[in-house]
Amino acid sequence: MERREAIKDIGTIVAGAALAASLDLAVSTEAEAKETPEVSLPGPAPDEDVIITMQRDLLKALKKPLKDRKWSMTIDLRKCIGCHACTVGCIAENKLPPGVVYRPVSEEEIGASPNVAIRFLPRPCMQCDNPPCTVVCPVKATWKREDGIVVIDYDQCIGCRYCLVACPYGARSANSGDLYTDGTPHREAYETSPTYEYGRKRVRKSHFSSPVGNAMKCHFCSHRLDAGMLPMCVTTCVGRATYFGDVRDPDSVIAKVTFKPNAWKFKEGLGTKPSVTYLL
Amino acid sequence: MKRTKGVSRRDFFKTGVFLGSGLLTTSCSPRSVEGGSYDLAKPENILYSACLQCNTGCGIKVKIIDGVASKIDGSPYNPYNLVPHLKFGTDPKIVSKIDAPLCPKGQAGIQTAYDPYRLRTVLKRAGQRGENKWKTIPFDQAISEICEGGLLFKDVPGEEKRTVTGLKGIYVLKDKDVMKEMGKAVSEIMQAKEANKKKELVAAFKIRFKDNLHALIDPDHPDLGPKNNQFVFMWGRLKGGRGDLIKRFASDALGSENAHGHTTVCQGSLYFSGKAMSEQWVFDAKDKKVKWTGGNKFYWQAELENARFVAFVGANIFDANYGPTNRMSRLMQSVSSGGLKYAIIDPRFSKGASKADRWIPVKPGEDGAFALGVIRWMIENNRINAAYLRNANKGAAKKNNEPNWTNASWLVRIDNDKPQAFLRGEEIGFPAARKQYTDKETGETTPYDYPLMVVMHGGKPAAFDPYKDDSAVEGDLFVDTVIKGVRVKSSLQIIKEEAFSKSLDEWARICGVSVDDIVYIARNLTSHGRRAVADLHRGVSQHTNGFYNVICWNTVNALIGNYDYRGGFIKASTYNYTGDKTVKVKTPAGKEEQKTEQPFNFKKMAPGKLSPFGVSVIRHGVKYEDSTLFSGYPAKRPWFPLASDIYQEIIPSIGDAYPYPAKALVLYMGSPVYALPAGHTTIEVLKDVAKLPLFITIDITVGETSLYADYIFPDLTYLERWEMQGSHPNMPFKVQPVRQPVIPPIPETAKIFGEEYPISLEAFILGVAEKLRLKGFGPDGFGKGVPFTHPDHYYLRAIANVAIEGLTDGKEVPSASDDEMRLFTECRRHLPKSVFDFDRWRKAVGDDLIKKVVYVLNRGGRFEEYEKAWDGEKVKHKYGTLINLYQEKTAKVKNSMTGKSLKGYGQYLPPFRDVTDKPIDDEKEGYDLVLITSRTILHTKSRTATNYWLNAILPENYVYIHQKDAARLDLRDGDAVKVVSKSNLDGVWDIGPYRKPMTGKLKVGQAIRPGTISFFLGYGHWAYGANDIVIDGKKLRGDKRRGQGIHANAAMRVDPVLKNTPLEDVYGGSVVFYDSRVKLVKA
Ligand code: SF4
Ligand code: SF4
Repeated sequence: MERREAIKDIGTIVAGAALAASLDLAVSTEAEAKETPEVSLPGPAPDEDVIITMQRDLLKALKKPLKDRKWSMTIDLRKCIGCHACTVGCIAENKLPPGVVYRPVSEEEIGASPNVAIRFLPRPCMQCDNPPCTVVCPVKATWKREDGIVVIDYDQCIGCRYCLVACPYGARSANSGDLYTDGTPHREAYETSPTYEYGRKRVRKSHFSSPVGNAMKCHFCSHRLDAGMLPMCVTTCVGRATYFGDVRDPDSVIAKVTFKPNAWKFKEGLGTKPSVTYLL
Repeated sequence: MKRTKGVSRRDFFKTGVFLGSGLLTTSCSPRSVEGGSYDLAKPENILYSACLQCNTGCGIKVKIIDGVASKIDGSPYNPYNLVPHLKFGTDPKIVSKIDAPLCPKGQAGIQTAYDPYRLRTVLKRAGQRGENKWKTIPFDQAISEICEGGLLFKDVPGEEKRTVTGLKGIYVLKDKDVMKEMGKAVSEIMQAKEANKKKELVAAFKIRFKDNLHALIDPDHPDLGPKNNQFVFMWGRLKGGRGDLIKRFASDALGSENAHGHTTVCQGSLYFSGKAMSEQWVFDAKDKKVKWTGGNKFYWQAELENARFVAFVGANIFDANYGPTNRMSRLMQSVSSGGLKYAIIDPRFSKGASKADRWIPVKPGEDGAFALGVIRWMIENNRINAAYLRNANKGAAKKNNEPNWTNASWLVRIDNDKPQAFLRGEEIGFPAARKQYTDKETGETTPYDYPLMVVMHGGKPAAFDPYKDDSAVEGDLFVDTVIKGVRVKSSLQIIKEEAFSKSLDEWARICGVSVDDIVYIARNLTSHGRRAVADLHRGVSQHTNGFYNVICWNTVNALIGNYDYRGGFIKASTYNYTGDKTVKVKTPAGKEEQKTEQPFNFKKMAPGKLSPFGVSVIRHGVKYEDSTLFSGYPAKRPWFPLASDIYQEIIPSIGDAYPYPAKALVLYMGSPVYALPAGHTTIEVLKDVAKLPLFITIDITVGETSLYADYIFPDLTYLERWEMQGSHPNMPFKVQPVRQPVIPPIPETAKIFGEEYPISLEAFILGVAEKLRLKGFGPDGFGKGVPFTHPDHYYLRAIANVAIEGLTDGKEVPSASDDEMRLFTECRRHLPKSVFDFDRWRKAVGDDLIKKVVYVLNRGGRFEEYEKAWDGEKVKHKYGTLINLYQEKTAKVKNSMTGKSLKGYGQYLPPFRDVTDKPIDDEKEGYDLVLITSRTILHTKSRTATNYWLNAILPENYVYIHQKDAARLDLRDGDAVKVVSKSNLDGVWDIGPYRKPMTGKLKVGQAIRPGTISFFLGYGHWAYGANDIVIDGKKLRGDKRRGQGIHANAAMRVDPVLKNTPLEDVYGGSVVFYDSRVKLVKA
């Protein structure tokens, strides 16, 4: 897709007065403007770690125009060990403040002993194809990108929290601007180390720099995708339970694992059409 | 908020527009000018190292932005992270864009380094011990005071007149020759069997060494050693490199026998049963006789990539167990492909149990009974690997293509119905073999007689040399007979009788499971050839009977014959860094010779090295009966001839001054108060300046134990320092992950020997060495003209050794290219000269080696290629020798508290015993719940409470109880409960200045065996930044988030005989975590 078209497309979504602003926005949140990343991978080898294979799939997908990709995630609950590596990896990658978690993993005990089980459920943003969160935004600061990612423009967002309420998965939270080391003898520099969300390097200069105050959510680490790297929760998944890729590529790992009889979508009945699939 | 043209953010503030609006709390930034590239993927921003958030030590990739570690990911070079890991030769520029998995602790490690409560300078106590009042003092002053001693605390009320002996006054015997000679004489005294003979030898000793008797702790008991032994160094988590420096300092330079680790608080009895099972029947050059020696303090683990069935016994696989990143990557792969099934044998339903084929909630401490049930079933049903077990020596193993062999068929003498030593060939007319020992160093030869062992083969006795590889000897497995008047049984016969001493029903009843559970495990373990294995951990070993529990389970694995097999029971393998590894080389004359191939043999680079002697404060490695302190049973405190590093014994032994008082204690990276069961008992000793006159800790912050220190030296965290991480027994690949400084040091800089280094363990050691002019340090520390004045002089050379291993076969690592050399310095542009000075590094190893060192450091260590770890159905790095199913050395040891001989095989022993082997039956007094501990993946015992990202996930732990018990006790989910026990009736931590109730929230569920309660370790801190602390008169506020939840160790049972020590396994040395009965009281 041409950049100009992208702008036009978004223009049709965004209401008149906001159009000027969204022109910029189209640049900052669309991957299109980026060059294909220079990443070379070792292999392929027959028994390579699936993480490498998926990264290779990713590089292939990045060569296609944005509109032809469909990023999807499939989480194999049989392999999830409830380690929370994804949760913490994501917090660390995106320097999420207290209270903001893009990918919690819930743990639930079921059964009666000795027939007990603990069920782990990683809960990223479902990147719905029919997202209830975007339509409620009064300033059109959030929308679904053509490649499937539901994005937020931090510079547009007014922090009204409507979307937080609208999301049936609780995938959105508000950034209070607090830091974990607030109130301790020393506010640590790593907390305000730059972030790269949506491909923009941001340095927190004050308590009022975006995304402080904004709604925040998982974005499949779109900045990493741009760099030719898998989302953080995928590369760090200890159980190799998290699959990711362009589901439109029939040769990709994600396409091969997703369409199975044990596939399940979270709250599918709501008609949200999640891009995240679970394998039970 | 929506951008408003022409209004800058600052204006917005000033006008206060958004103050009135509930919605507008957000940014109004103009377009960013910062640009959009992803700096975290740039090779010049990435350094590779090894994690130490837990002891697994996974590979890490630390991403540095503007000199600050911004993100930590897993390193794809390292087999702990990626399966298979990348080829070692892969260009770091390529790898910069590949991330590998890492557990959550690993990723939160940034918060360990950048902790607001880290110490930057030396603290000296300004109040009573434990009062948590401090003053900062310069490093040099601290070193002087510690070395010189004097009225160091004259400002503290009550200590005005207390003269502290400095290290100078403890470092008394300095003459290495005298020390060596005394040591030899003492060893003769100890070897003398008769009391009178001992007396004579002591008298002779006193005459011979009359000029140096003042240097002894007690001239009447020369076996206590020199006064130097009153210097004690103890540590918690310690890895290679730092460990070698401590040894060089405490033992080689200061001449103390007392440098002790923490093994027994982890899984001591696992290690020491491994040692017992790996002792070898060989000539001991020091004692000049053939004996059982050379056993390795180590253990085996399951190789998960190829296993088909695994029984995890007391092993918390998803959360701990060395460790999630490496093991779970492999386990889940096999489980999901259907290639592997596993069972969890554990009273607690661990996370791992949720993916298991079966959870078997065994009774705490009864793992040995379970194993004996399995053994019985295996023997009864002919499911033992008889062909393997019949191999009695190396020759038979070789002939039958086995990687190792056992003594299952060897004959044991039976006297008075009790198994004793192995039958020696001489006893039935087979003469000993003549052999010759050649000293590697001197080439000197010593001839000796080598007694042979005996098996029955087809009903006839055959004597043999266990290590002879050109004659295969196989033996009958079940023998009970008399040869020439000597009653003998085979080892396996003895084990069989133990297993058959109870029916399956009885074994099942003892361990609280069904017969079907035992049969299920036994059947599955014997249905996959060698690819089935029992993987054991703390849950098996940290009981009063832990040593024997482990031996029983290790025996199960031996009956399968899975040692050294893929999917079986394997050991760790590492590249050597000490430079003393020998390899076979051919001399020009065509002769084979053993030689070292690495450039820096540190053993030889130790001028003036002392040879410490004497009984240690923890009485390890020697028999009570051999010492001059022997005065009948029970001994005052237990002796541990089969174990070492008995952590729980150090402080109470100092308290009891048994076998002698200590004058100074240095504690490094440990927190016995917090980490030990009944850790509160150590506080009484630590607070007492008479019992412990000088107490120094090296810590990153003021922890629960540093709280009582006289001086605290700040330390570097794992992101700022060097270490050789080594490996773990579940890893088939040969590795040596290297931990290196990746961020600028947080502590202040000290100047020692004219060089700068951050205050740290190394600075402490070098500082004291400079002050006391210790040998092995300083301008000639590594030999004439070879300086050891900066830690780099040691670490860089150690890495050079790692790089060079394999040289003889052309297998050393390649040299870094010019490109890589450039990348190497660029990646370190943020590091100050005190830790990174390329010129200093280059000089330490020389111009040729530096490029190899760089090659290793650019990859965070050295890692063998994936394909290289396998040898057909076996692993390449084998244990490869005799496995003792019967342990003669153990059988010759007596319990120092009862005088009873130990059994040298996997026997059933009930748990819940005191040191004199008496049952503790607190349940009769209403203590109706067994308290056990567990770990969440989010925490590592005492040291991760500072990681806010982890705390955010589970801010508070809880006491987990089964619904049935909760109902019985009328307790509800969420209730606040106090944990009380017979040895802690109030259920409190008596910290000194105040008492902290042991209260936590109750969580009620089904995921535990009824009658058992559990809590996660790592919570409920009261120091470590959780409480206020006064430094230089100023109060620093604590952070409550770090102290949430309960730490119930103080409810664990104090040994009723010793009274100041937790329960312990007197055989394998483990401290006991799981044999305490408690009550819950609504708080
Ligand atoms: S990292 Fe993977 S295995 Fe761990 S909790 Fe997240 S999804 Fe589950
Ligand atoms: S398992 Fe241990 S070593 Fe590995 S990443 Fe986690 S904390 Fe670090």
